[in-house]
Amino acid sequence: MTQTPPAADAPIQHGAGQPLPWEPVLMTAVGREGGRFLPDYLLRGGYQGLTKAVQEMDPDSVIKEVTDSKLLGRGGAGFPTGVKWGGTKRNPGPRHLVVNADESEPGTYGNRYAIDADPHGLIEGMLVCCFAVGIQQAYIYIRGENLYGAEVLEHALKEAYAAGYIGKNILGKEGFNVDISVTRGAGAYVCGEETALMESLEGRRAQPRIRPPFPIEVGGGLFGRPTVVNNVETLMCVPHILVRGAAWFASIGAPACPGPKLYTISGHVNRPGVYELPMGTTLYDLIYKYAGGMKRNQKVKAVSPGALACQLLPGTDLNVQMDTATLTRPPHWHPPFGPVGFGAGGIIVYGEETDIVQVVARAAGFFARESCGKCVPCREGTHWMQDVLGRIAHGHGRPRDLGILEDVTRNIGGRKTLCALGDFSVNSVASALRLFRPEFEAYCNGHARSSAAGSGVPVAAG
Amino acid sequence: MSLSQAARDRIVNDFIPRYPSKRAALMPSLWLAQEEAGWLGPEVFEEVGELLDLHPTDVASVASFYVMFHRRKIGDRLIEVCENPSCFLNGSDQTYARICDRLGLEAGHGGHGMQTTPDGKFSVRPTECLAACDYAPVVQVDLRFYGPVHEADVDAFLANMEAFSIQGKPSVSMANGPQAVPVDGWEGHAPPAPGSAA
Ligand SMILES: Cc1cc2nc3c(=O)[nH]c(=O)nc-3n(C[C@H](O)[C@H](O)[C@H](O)COP(=O)(O)O)c2cc1C
Ligand code: SF4
Ligand code: FES
Repeated sequence: MTQTPPAADAPIQHGAGQPLPWEPVLMTAVGREGGRFLPDYLLRGGYQGLTKAVQEMDPDSVIKEVTDSKLLGRGGAGFPTGVKWGGTKRNPGPRHLVVNADESEPGTYGNRYAIDADPHGLIEGMLVCCFAVGIQQAYIYIRGENLYGAEVLEHALKEAYAAGYIGKNILGKEGFNVDISVTRGAGAYVCGEETALMESLEGRRAQPRIRPPFPIEVGGGLFGRPTVVNNVETLMCVPHILVRGAAWFASIGAPACPGPKLYTISGHVNRPGVYELPMGTTLYDLIYKYAGGMKRNQKVKAVSPGALACQLLPGTDLNVQMDTATLTRPPHWHPPFGPVGFGAGGIIVYGEETDIVQVVARAAGFFARESCGKCVPCREGTHWMQDVLGRIAHGHGRPRDLGILEDVTRNIGGRKTLCALGDFSVNSVASALRLFRPEFEAYCNGHARSSAAGSGVPVAAG
Repeated sequence: MSLSQAARDRIVNDFIPRYPSKRAALMPSLWLAQEEAGWLGPEVFEEVGELLDLHPTDVASVASFYVMFHRRKIGDRLIEVCENPSCFLNGSDQTYARICDRLGLEAGHGGHGMQTTPDGKFSVRPTECLAACDYAPVVQVDLRFYGPVHEADVDAFLANMEAFSIQGKPSVSMANGPQAVPVDGWEGHAPPAPGSAA
């Protein structure tokens, strides 16, 4: 499938009101012969964003362009990328760039496909960042399980070094020197948290750091130096912003957090997968229009809009726009736990046949295993939730267990911990208790759902 | 067991110069050591520590933080079945149980431990989301991904894993290219959008 990128002034206006099908921006390499290699990347207009930055712009105007595009970080926190770059640059060098390719949030898998399909898209975004912020040493931290992705990146780096896009005096620009290398994690979800990631990169146990100082500041970043940490998808947007302009990017989808988004959808949908659509696409469209509707035609019972770290949305809420701005504001804000959350756009859809108690027990087990153990509420609370929910899920729940659970969730949630993993761990538990309390009560009164009989959905082993 | 000369050279000439601190070469060094021996023993902690100026206990402490570093000998092949929600909803528990059963191991031990067959050929354990949820249920064997492996596929899978490989394949949704294409006639099959009557 060939795709010619439209000229910067072409009268294409993707937008919330635009008719679909929407033309992909980030995933154009898919389906092309040799799409991930340098020659094809160049055919697709590759390294033009970098060339434009280096030859026609100065670093500050690059930062301004990225700021004007209103690009928000795609890793979960949704921080404005241009502001992060500008902030880092105000601190003295040397500085670093770290690419967060840890992607371990259950239900999130866009980065893996993006790296497989178009590693040079990421590398170009990194180089633009290095040019804008004044960085000579950049690192890609990729989760250990994704060995294939690390190999793809290593190969692409070799190609880019050989072609002179990485190295010394890049594109003939005196003093524009960048080195990039890949570091593999080794199986710890918390490494996705940016300060834990930096600890791991420095060769330590991945325990998040106390802030301030923040990563962009001296003393807070990688090796104590001011550091930009960006998600893979965030950086992949950058070359397109430079080539087609900030105004083009800002016109795509949801005005408050615009741009293309790699939604990943899984669970009880007929056609799970990665869907590149404008930010702000509705959940209803994602499930029915694109992901092929629900398996066995069941109704939607609930959705984790931003994978396991977010609160559950009820199946009645399908009109909601899937974007950072919508899901972090009222009415999608539930005190004392805070926003429902959009995370990195990993959508898990639970059909009616789902035993929500089993799902939540599993979620609690995940966070208990992945807590780094540095703060007390998270270390003890996650294990407590795992124990109580495990007991309930095995049919040994007692009526007072729900009170205990609620108590524990309130004692972890609401920013009481060093990193957001603590808040994440209570989100699905607390929201499930709010939305599906009778199911928990049934379990505690000896009326466990009979493993969603006949549905093919098992009772958890533990 | 100890590090080969080639590994030492790689650590000194390739890994250490990548970072401004020696210590930062620890993750790649541990990976390299584990590739050579299959696991990480006390000698490795000492030898890596020596190269990076770290106390062996410090090295072991870091290694123990990460579930992919093995501090005991494991089977020749490591089979890991994802048990997180998207795989769970698609029957990963049954896949896991069937794999254990076929290898003569006990499923449903209720923990997250690893089991190894008596002949040392296979180790099996549940694992967390592998970021391949569109191919759920997903199985990882020695750092390569396979899916979907349903309960009924387990025999075929154990006989010929490569037939199930998803490595390098595009997402399920992208079989026909990158475009997010509406499903034909989707409106006829979908319930009315909430609030659309109003
Ligand atoms: C427990 C935890 C896990 C996270 N995992 C990831 C991850 O896998 N990938 C990612 O890009 N960001 C992850 N984040 C968010 C990062 O801390 C950070 O905000 C992000 O990488 C910044 O990049 P962005 O501004 O481009 O979004 C995680 C945060 C927490 C608290
Ligand atoms: S919230 Fe949990 S994971 Fe985060 S620093 Fe505290 S103990 Fe570690
Ligand atoms: S939940 Fe199994 S691969 Fe993501």
